[in-house]
Amino acid sequence: MEQALLVSNVLLWIAVLALGALVFALVRQIGVLYERVAPAGALMLAGGPRVGEPAPRFSLDDVLGRATLLGGDDPERRETLLLFVSPTCPVCKTLLPVAKSLAARESGRVRLVFASDGQAEDHVAFLRKHALDAYPYVVSTELGLAHGVGKLPHAVLWDARGIVRAKGLVNSREHLESLFEALDHGVASIQEFVARAGGSR
Amino acid sequence: MALTLDPALSLALRGGLALLLAAAAWHKLRDLTAFRAALAGYQLVPERALRVAACVLIAAELATASALVLSSRAAGAAVTLLALYTGAVALNLARGRREIDCGCFGPAARQPLSFALVVRNLGLIALGLVCALPVAARALVLLDGLTIAAGIALGALLHGAINGLIANAPRLRALRGV
Repeated sequence: MEQALLVSNVLLWIAVLALGALVFALVRQIGVLYERVAPAGALMLAGGPRVGEPAPRFSLDDVLGRATLLGGDDPERRETLLLFVSPTCPVCKTLLPVAKSLAARESGRVRLVFASDGQAEDHVAFLRKHALDAYPYVVSTELGLAHGVGKLPHAVLWDARGIVRAKGLVNSREHLESLFEALDHGVASIQEFVARAGGSR
Repeated sequence: MALTLDPALSLALRGGLALLLAAAAWHKLRDLTAFRAALAGYQLVPERALRVAACVLIAAELATASALVLSSRAAGAAVTLLALYTGAVALNLARGRREIDCGCFGPAARQPLSFALVVRNLGLIALGLVCALPVAARALVLLDGLTIAAGIALGALLHGAINGLIANAPRLRALRGV
């Protein structure tokens, strides 16, 4: 009898562990599926100019006093990546080096501009700390309102003619890169891509 | 009859919690900058004290993990640590700041705060409280080895699965467009 219980117990443990491993593996697989389907790239939010519409024109002095022209035809035929950040947003800090490396990779083609709102002094300290001197850094509440920025970090990418090509909430390198993908392929978002694929079926 | 806990169960529970704390400390050590950023996100520790607080938390996790393996008296410390984290999450949820990174299992597992996280932690605290019960006197036999090892492994798998489900929940909501 004891022997039988022992055997059954050991067998049950093996079965329970196998099932536990199975559940764990399934959850992981679901996670991967979400990652494939959802990166939807940057999440598009309502508000601001839509993809295909011209970006609002702004002529601003950045926090270091440099004149910065936003929107309209770019004299150097570059695209503009406008990244809305804030010194108090932790995700923004992790995105700064990513944005810089992307801008360096696409240098000559893309102009990187940072934007924020609030007190200029805080931003100068932030800019020095993260070595952003090389890029225009504008502080303007109107600019954020014009682009319908809700959550940070928010990015807007427009082409050399000032037409918005992609925009959205960006939380990772993939999201930022997806904006450029959208520009290259002329598709505003993965959602639109999926919808188009579904429609042609 | 006083409430006591079987020694095999006690060891399995303590082993599981120790593994959890050690894994948490390991993830934090692997990416200290990310952990400090997550800690800053909670807005509970002044910026100047961040570095110290991060080190203290990691040291506390490691010390509690090793003490738990040796004695059930460390259960109190584990419960305190878990309660501290749960309180921090609950406080930020109450402030309405659910967008910040939980920092629970490293930056790779970026998790926003959620009510499910609090429930999960309350479950862990309950397990910690069970650990604090006096242990019954009983000689351990070979089969207990299997119970303990398999129990710890099962706990780790279930915890991983629950974490996965919690991490997936916001993605599902995003897909549904809520």
